[in-house]
Amino acid sequence: MPFDLLLPAALKKARWKVKIREKETREPPHVTILRKTKAWRINLRTRQFMDDQPDPDQVPAALLQHIHAADNWTRLCDEWDRKYSDNPVQQPADGE
Amino acid sequence: MFLLDRTKQRPTWFSLLHPEVVRSTGAVRQSVAKATKHTLWVSYEQDLTDALVKSVCGPSRALGNAVLIHALSPRSIPALTGCFRRFAFASDDAFLPPDELAEALHAENAADLLIGGSVNADNQTITFWRGNLEPLTVPFSAFETSGDGISPDFTAFSVTDSGQTVRLGEYEAATDSLLYEFDPEFRRRMAKHRQQSERSFGASVRRLRKQRGLRRTDFEPDITSKTIARIEQGKVHRIHKKTLDAIARHLRVAADEIETF
Repeated sequence: MPFDLLLPAALKKARWKVKIREKETREPPHVTILRKTKAWRINLRTRQFMDDQPDPDQVPAALLQHIHAADNWTRLCDEWDRKYSDNPVQQPADGE
Repeated sequence: MFLLDRTKQRPTWFSLLHPEVVRSTGAVRQSVAKATKHTLWVSYEQDLTDALVKSVCGPSRALGNAVLIHALSPRSIPALTGCFRRFAFASDDAFLPPDELAEALHAENAADLLIGGSVNADNQTITFWRGNLEPLTVPFSAFETSGDGISPDFTAFSVTDSGQTVRLGEYEAATDSLLYEFDPEFRRRMAKHRQQSERSFGASVRRLRKQRGLRRTDFEPDITSKTIARIEQGKVHRIHKKTLDAIARHLRVAADEIETF
């Protein structure tokens, strides 16, 4: 089952979703923000948007705050590691 | 765009595409007269699709493209091939719901979205329809069990998130990960967007190794983990053909495809 971050009602009603699915493009670890036909990826190692398109400014600040809230961020990293233990958020030392 | 449909509500879900709704065989004939090679047809009614095919008397493929969301006899396929440039077909539950289907067909990135598909258990493949109505066939083996033990259920197939996600029971796969793996043109497009520093051969080997879930030690005894590390870090400037072939074999791609990942 994909990890679907619980969102405040207003964001959910506006069709925002935040997911970690079973089959993602794996490198690097990330969480995907979805709305209608658009998707934004946030790198779980650097906390930065991975792509310049679609425009990251289209993602509401309230949603980003919710994702970056300590509990949610930790949960997202844990869920990624659970699904992709061969590519964990914390990088192993050289010679992996 | 013509919507062949007799329901009251569905046309409102397609409002994004400004549909001309066709409800009778008589209206089908009038629509054919207006069609061009760029026309999009979406049909939920088998008898109206049949009437559409019967009405065609112009040059082949003059009707544009079609999405046929109803039961379809295999014997209809040759005639449909003659009528449309491209057409997608599957039973109702294998396509996006109407509102999301309209969004995906209308999207700028329609080619990168999946609107539906069909599971073939006999040859263990899924054939998807992209938003530009091109097919993409993917083997069951593309859907590996995830690290937390969730496996795909191929009897519970659907497309969701306006074409951005494939659902197989409790298992979900990102559409872009499938396109990345099975469409070289999509990979090339993504590669263009990467930063200069990520375009090296070594970076491609590393990305592909991660995708395959391999450790550097998995290349032994053919190649030492130390050599793989040096290749990934760009420290090896000339790679022997024997080494390159071994890397490609372990990564399960052709050697000349590695750099497209």
